[in-house]
Amino acid sequence: MRADANGTGDEAAGVRVGVTGVPGVRGDRGAAGHAAPGSRSTEGVGTGLNSPPAGIAASTSRRMRSIRLVLVGGGVLLLAWGVFEMFDSVRLSRLPGVALWIAAAIVLHDAILSPIVFALGIALRRAGRRVSGTVIAIVQGGILVGSIVSLIAVPTIVAKNFAPPNPTVLPLNYGLNLGIFWLVLAALTVGLSVWAFVRARHPVTVFPDDSGH
Amino acid sequence: MYEAQRALASPVRNPRMATVIGRLLGAAFLICFGTGLYSHFLQEPLDGMRFATRPEFLYQVTQGTHIIAGIACFPLLLAKLYIVFPELFSFPPVRGLVHLVERASIALFVGASMVQITIGLLNTYQWYPWPFPFRQVHFALGWILIGLLIIHIGVKLPVIARYWNTAPTEADNDHLVDAVSADRAENAEAVRLWGETRPGGMTGRVLNFIDNTPRTASRLSRRGFLTTVGVATTAVVGLTAGQTFTPLNTVNLFGPRKKGVGPQGVPVNRTSEQAKVAESAMAAGWTLTVAVSGTERAFTRAELLALPQTAVTLPIACVEGWSQMAHWRGVRLRDLADLMNADPSTSFRLISLEERGSFSKTQMGREYVRDPLTLVALELNGETLDLEHGYPARMIAPGRPGVLQTKWLRRIEAIES
Repeated sequence: MRADANGTGDEAAGVRVGVTGVPGVRGDRGAAGHAAPGSRSTEGVGTGLNSPPAGIAASTSRRMRSIRLVLVGGGVLLLAWGVFEMFDSVRLSRLPGVALWIAAAIVLHDAILSPIVFALGIALRRAGRRVSGTVIAIVQGGILVGSIVSLIAVPTIVAKNFAPPNPTVLPLNYGLNLGIFWLVLAALTVGLSVWAFVRARHPVTVFPDDSGH
Repeated sequence: MYEAQRALASPVRNPRMATVIGRLLGAAFLICFGTGLYSHFLQEPLDGMRFATRPEFLYQVTQGTHIIAGIACFPLLLAKLYIVFPELFSFPPVRGLVHLVERASIALFVGASMVQITIGLLNTYQWYPWPFPFRQVHFALGWILIGLLIIHIGVKLPVIARYWNTAPTEADNDHLVDAVSADRAENAEAVRLWGETRPGGMTGRVLNFIDNTPRTASRLSRRGFLTTVGVATTAVVGLTAGQTFTPLNTVNLFGPRKKGVGPQGVPVNRTSEQAKVAESAMAAGWTLTVAVSGTERAFTRAELLALPQTAVTLPIACVEGWSQMAHWRGVRLRDLADLMNADPSTSFRLISLEERGSFSKTQMGREYVRDPLTLVALELNGETLDLEHGYPARMIAPGRPGVLQTKWLRRIEAIES
């Protein structure tokens, strides 16, 4: 593995979130990034993502490199042990099922869940053109919190239909509880949004005298 | 790919945020792994392993924490994946062997994490809609995930180190998107790869549509994101943890178990019907056989009740994360062992009337055998033990998982070494 100051960003350590995933942006950073006044933030974000500033990198690279080697080496051993456990304890005919589930999880997230979240964000921001960002953030947050709680709660509703092994498993009325939860959440979200909306319309005036003490 | 990353760029999607959420998720994974291992070794101890019997609610805490941390992983993992999602569209997709291995390991990490927390959650209500055995796969995936986590930390260490303490700077408050679009025309590499203008036709119209959507301010966007993750995590944990954590019992809306719900106020995991013991347990001729060094003695229930009785308050705590405090009354196992002149250093084997089932025969280390709180329980919460709770007699010991609190006891034998 390359762990030198330059290699870290490119090969191994680059989180490269967003813009820096574009090779061109990174390659050009030195020239265009500095030259163009409009691209101030490219510099700020880009350097951060790819490699630490040269000075820091040089002084810590040796230590960093050995720590990373130990981590990756140890991780590979644990991973190998896990794979051995898997082959050792699970019948071979069952393993394709495990692989299928792992693949399905990736597809479910990357191809279905993420685009939905993305579209939802766009839709909300479009619908909320005329309201302040705070209100959009509150509504967005409310929908996401509700969705994640539903993610935990809906399987209980489904599982309850498959006759749990005994009456003390899943004893609650999860559908009703989820309904109540959404109502409370909606009320809170609306309340907070209204508060934020009103506050944005009528900013609280702070008199200079008030801030003196 | 450029356009995809551009469209997905968001003030939330930055390495600082990935570090902040990543730390929490990593901690949750480590907690799950540690508590999971503890639970595993309690059930399948290696030779010579001994365990703490105090505090008597130890297993309630470790396994409750296992499930709570696992549930917290849902919002945290989704948040982490949201932050790094544009990485999926890295271009070129593969830049060499090391990069390929790294991307493959990330894919496995992501997929296995989601499978792990999902099967873990569904197991808490004994629902198994998958084509593989739960216990073995959950255990193996635990090792695989912790290995992948440590590899991931090693690979990203420079980024993690850099952003561990860094607060977002002024520059981070600008939109990443603006930065890219401003650069596009001046960026030779980007132009070479994707042309000077963006794609036309339908794709172009969709991209323009996305671009024309108003943006939320960066600071607000990040604060909103963190608040949302915090509230979501609090909500999923707070609304389920009541199944083990009494103060949250009243807001236990989505926990798969409810405190106090079940025969004699205690939930049940395995029923007499599942264990197929209803007949043998109710048989008039039932006796509990205690075998030590070739000597055997059969005790009827009346004989057991005639022995000195001890009352203890101990939780029944299950691998599925629920727990229930209860009052038990019965004969100290230690007294029975002494009655049979068993050596204090002997461990015991507990055998249930249940003929099949992975926990019909289990072992109990000497630390539990000698513990004054370990009982052959005959009564629960002031009544004769319910059939579903193991009538005529069951084990109850401090700090052990429910599956080892053998119900419908038939035989207790010393393991002679």
